[in-house]
Amino acid sequence: MDINVPGIYFNHMTSILAAGGISAPELSDKIWITNSIFVAAIVTIALLFFVRMATKKMQLIPNRKQNFVELVIEFLYGQVEGIVGKHVAPKAFPLLATIFIFIITANWFGLLPGVGTLGWGEGPSHGVIEEMHTPLLRPATADLNMTLALAVVFMFVWLWISVRELGLWGTIVHIFGPKGGLAGKLKLALMPIFLFVGVIEVVSIIFRPVSLSLRLFGNIYAGETLLVTMSGLGENVFNLGGFWAFLTSVLFPIPFYFMEILVGALQATVFTLLCAVYIKLSTSHEEH
Amino acid sequence: MEILETFGFTWAKFLSQVIIVLVVYFILSKFAFGPVLAMLEARRTRIIEGEENLKKIQEDLEKAEERVQSMLDEANQDAERLINDARDSAEAVRVERTKEATREAEQIVERAREASRVEHEAAMSELKRDFGRLVIDATSKVTGKVLDDDDQKRINEETAGQVAL
Repeated sequence: MDINVPGIYFNHMTSILAAGGISAPELSDKIWITNSIFVAAIVTIALLFFVRMATKKMQLIPNRKQNFVELVIEFLYGQVEGIVGKHVAPKAFPLLATIFIFIITANWFGLLPGVGTLGWGEGPSHGVIEEMHTPLLRPATADLNMTLALAVVFMFVWLWISVRELGLWGTIVHIFGPKGGLAGKLKLALMPIFLFVGVIEVVSIIFRPVSLSLRLFGNIYAGETLLVTMSGLGENVFNLGGFWAFLTSVLFPIPFYFMEILVGALQATVFTLLCAVYIKLSTSHEEH
Repeated sequence: MEILETFGFTWAKFLSQVIIVLVVYFILSKFAFGPVLAMLEARRTRIIEGEENLKKIQEDLEKAEERVQSMLDEANQDAERLINDARDSAEAVRVERTKEATREAEQIVERAREASRVEHEAAMSELKRDFGRLVIDATSKVTGKVLDDDDQKRINEETAGQVAL
C-alpha cells in the first residue's frame, strides 16, 4: 500500500533524483513556498539571529561572537579590497560579502542531517518512505531560482557600480572603445574590430548570470545527487538488504560529506571571486 | 529560457528568491557590515592615536632625559666648584692655622726663653750674694776684724765685679 506521508527518506535509490528532483517542489499544493525557499528563509533568519547576537553590544574589546564576525568581515574586506581596489571596495564589499556568506551558509546547511531526507513521499507505512517526492528541506543553492537570483542581483549592483565609477558614456566606451592607448589612423582603422569585440563583450556580460548561476547550482545539486547515490550504493549496486543496506547508506556517503564541505566553500569562493573580478574589469581606469 | 525552465526556473520562485537575497543583503549590511566596519575603523583610529601618543610620550621622555642629564651636568659642575672652593678654603684655613700655631709656638718659646733668662739672672744674683757673703765671712774670719757696713758693701761690690758667671 503506497501512502503519501511525511517521514524519513530511507530507501533512496528507488529514484536517482536528489532533493525531490532538479526542480524545487512546493511544500504543498496549497502553499507556493518551495523547500529551497523554506531553507533560504531559515538561513536568512539564522544569519540575522547570529549577527544580531554578535553585534548588538559591540565593544572595542570584542567577545567571542563579535570577534568571529569581525574576523570574517575583516578577512573578506581585505580580499575584496585586494581585487577591486581601495576606491571601489566600500561600494562592492557589502554585496560580495553577502553573496559569500549566504552561499557558504546555504551550501553547508545542505549537509545537515535531515536536509533531503525528511519530507513527503510514498512508503509502506507512516514514518518510513521508499520514494521521496517532496523533501521538507533542500539546499537553497541546489535550486536554480536561488542561484539565478544571486547572479541577477549581483549584475544589477555590478551595473550600478560600473556606471557610477565610469559614468554611462565611460562604461560604453570601456566596452566598445579602443584599447591599448591607440590613436590616429590606426585607431580609426581598428574601430570596427573594437566594436565587434564590444558586441562579444556584451554577449559575455549577458551570459554572466547564467554561467554564475548554473555553475553554482550544478555543483551543489550534483553534490546532493552524489550523496544520494552513495547512500543507495549498498542496496542498489551490491544488492544488500536490511541492516547492511542501512549501514552502507550511512557509511558510504561520509567521505563525500567532507568533499562536499570543501565544494561548498569552494563554490562560494568561486562565485564571489568571479563577481569581484567582473567589478574590477568594469571599473578599471587603467585603459583610459 | 527553455533551458532555465528545464532546470526548474519559474518567475514566481525566482522573484521570491530575489526578495530573500535582498533581505539577506539588507540584514547583513545593516547589522553586520556597517557596525563591524565602523568598529574596525574606530579600533584602527584608536590604535593610530595610541601609536601617536606613544611616540609623543617617547619624545617627552627623551626630552625629560635630556633635561635630567643637563641638570645632572649642572649639578656636577656646581658640586665640583663647591668642592674646589671648599678645598681652597680648607687650604687657606690650614695655612692660617699653621701660621697661628707657628706664631704661638714662637711666643711660647720666647716666653720660655725670657723666663729662663730671668731665672738665670735671679740665680746669678743669688749666687753672687751668697758668694759675697761667703767672701765677707771668710774675710772676717781670716782677718779677725769685724767688718762694718761699708766694708761689707765694698767687698760685695768687688766680689761681684770679679765674679763673672
